[in-house]
Amino acid sequence: MTETIIQYIKKEILNDPSTTLTAQDDLLGSGLVDSMGFVRIIAFLEEEYDITIPPTDMVIEYFMNIEAMSNYVAKLKG
Amino acid sequence: MYLIQHSILNSANHYPDNEAFRYNDKALTYKELVEQSHQLAHLLISLGVQRGDRVGVYLNRCLETAVAVYGILSAGAVFVPLDPYAPPSRNQFVIQDCGIEHLISNKSQEKNLKNTLTENLNVKSIISPFGADSISPFGGGWGVDFATFCANLNTRTFTQKNLQKSLSTKPQICILEEDLAYIMYTSGTTGTPKGIMHTHRSGLAYAKLSADLYNVQPTDRLGNHAALHFDISTMGYFTMPYVGGTTVIISDIHTKLPASMVQLIEKERLTIWYSVPLALIQFLQSGIEERDLTALRWVLYGGEPFPAKHLRTLMEQLPNAIFSNVYGPAEVNQCTYYNLPKPPKDDETIPLGKVWGNTEILIFDENNNPAKVGETGELLVRSATQMKGYWDRRDLTEKSLYKREKINGCEEVFYRTGDLVRICDQGDLHFLGRKDRQVKIRGYRIELDEIEATLTTHEAVDSAAIFAIKNDDEAYINAVVVLKKDLETSDLKLYLSECLPAYAVPSNIKFIDAIPRTTAGKVNYKILKTS
Repeated sequence: MTETIIQYIKKEILNDPSTTLTAQDDLLGSGLVDSMGFVRIIAFLEEEYDITIPPTDMVIEYFMNIEAMSNYVAKLKG
Repeated sequence: MYLIQHSILNSANHYPDNEAFRYNDKALTYKELVEQSHQLAHLLISLGVQRGDRVGVYLNRCLETAVAVYGILSAGAVFVPLDPYAPPSRNQFVIQDCGIEHLISNKSQEKNLKNTLTENLNVKSIISPFGADSISPFGGGWGVDFATFCANLNTRTFTQKNLQKSLSTKPQICILEEDLAYIMYTSGTTGTPKGIMHTHRSGLAYAKLSADLYNVQPTDRLGNHAALHFDISTMGYFTMPYVGGTTVIISDIHTKLPASMVQLIEKERLTIWYSVPLALIQFLQSGIEERDLTALRWVLYGGEPFPAKHLRTLMEQLPNAIFSNVYGPAEVNQCTYYNLPKPPKDDETIPLGKVWGNTEILIFDENNNPAKVGETGELLVRSATQMKGYWDRRDLTEKSLYKREKINGCEEVFYRTGDLVRICDQGDLHFLGRKDRQVKIRGYRIELDEIEATLTTHEAVDSAAIFAIKNDDEAYINAVVVLKKDLETSDLKLYLSECLPAYAVPSNIKFIDAIPRTTAGKVNYKILKTS
């Protein structure tokens, strides 16, 4: 799951399939991903994993990096 | 007190251990801020920085920004905020336009800097105020890779180690209140960015007026949401230091995760909040009901109108706070205020309100004559907080001003806001749109903002943006809409044709997920028009 998310972000959000991106990279804090990018990632996660992410869950603990997102999605599907 | 930096000297005298700035769990007291600002100032001076020189602040939202601002001011120089998330070409333009030779930055910006700096930009040094082992989570040291990159450009890098070797005493510089303090570049809706020049006098005048109006105390804690390049940040960076209060810098990640941001407001017991309406609207779906935000006593918003219906919902969640609509172009910072102790009763647009202190306004018709009482006209402002002019654009500066001499030898200089206003029976100013948000369709004059407001009254519509595309000599109105309930375009058009004259109904309506915004949080009409 983590790998799928990494690939999506590299390709669709960063527009650079060849860039290095790990599951621990700080995406939002570093400015790699802006608010619009974040909205698109949410939409991708909801569609890809058939989940609904409530706004109250949009917190640092669940979205600070890809690893956190992966764990969160797994928890929802749970 | 006549220079902006006198604020922190004064506050360090009276409240040395008060926290001046906080970021996540780290803080700088006034005493620490004064010391580190002086150290940075001495370093800048040793690098050849002189009074009036422009120094760039190339930083994300972080604690370093406070030292950057006050360090540059203490050296008698002019700080120029650069947005690291803007396209490199934009920052390259600003660096060259106002001749920036030194940047304050930090390790987290290495990648962005590599994409921006070129040899011909002539940046002589980059300084990171904090060290690797200190309070910045971004680590102060520079990577070897980056240091090499800079060396190849003849750019020197400096860190906290260099600062620690500097003096902490106040630099002896000669600088007056009328000298430049900062330049904020604005994109405007068309053309090249303009550098709005502000002096110590205009910055301090804003700090005094806002401190008075909102009765700001040393015990107050302000949530600073805006990035430094947006003038909403002046309350956090000027007003709070002026009174000796605390500014809590909201981090980039918090601004993107509203649920975390609302938790932070509770944890920090913030008493004042100031941001664009968008940030506030995000509170509504972020679990605000679970939080104890009773410490908030003032919620200020500006930059864009706040639709009454969203404002009402938010105010009902924050009954302890008085809301304040702040209006003022960046050229004058703030000039009016409208306070709402209670939620608005209807959906009428919130007024701009009354003019505040040390400020005079005029309302002019198209012929530069005063509009009749109650009539719409362009707002002109003369204020202690107004800009000195646009950097190196004497032509644009002249064009933006209206001058009159009622007394021989005493010129009064007003700034033309380009905003259309009118005074209502209650004596409040009302905003009726931008002069350039007015178009002619089939000979009829239309306010695009009015169509936007009408669209938003439909219950299925969350938000909307209207823009006009000109083809030959005809203009076509386009709308992008974010829905909160299902709706067909035809139904929406029908609804609009019942509220608006036929020529005002948009020819094109597109449903989208989110309205594109600028880094300041305002609707990005430029992108809408080109996509």
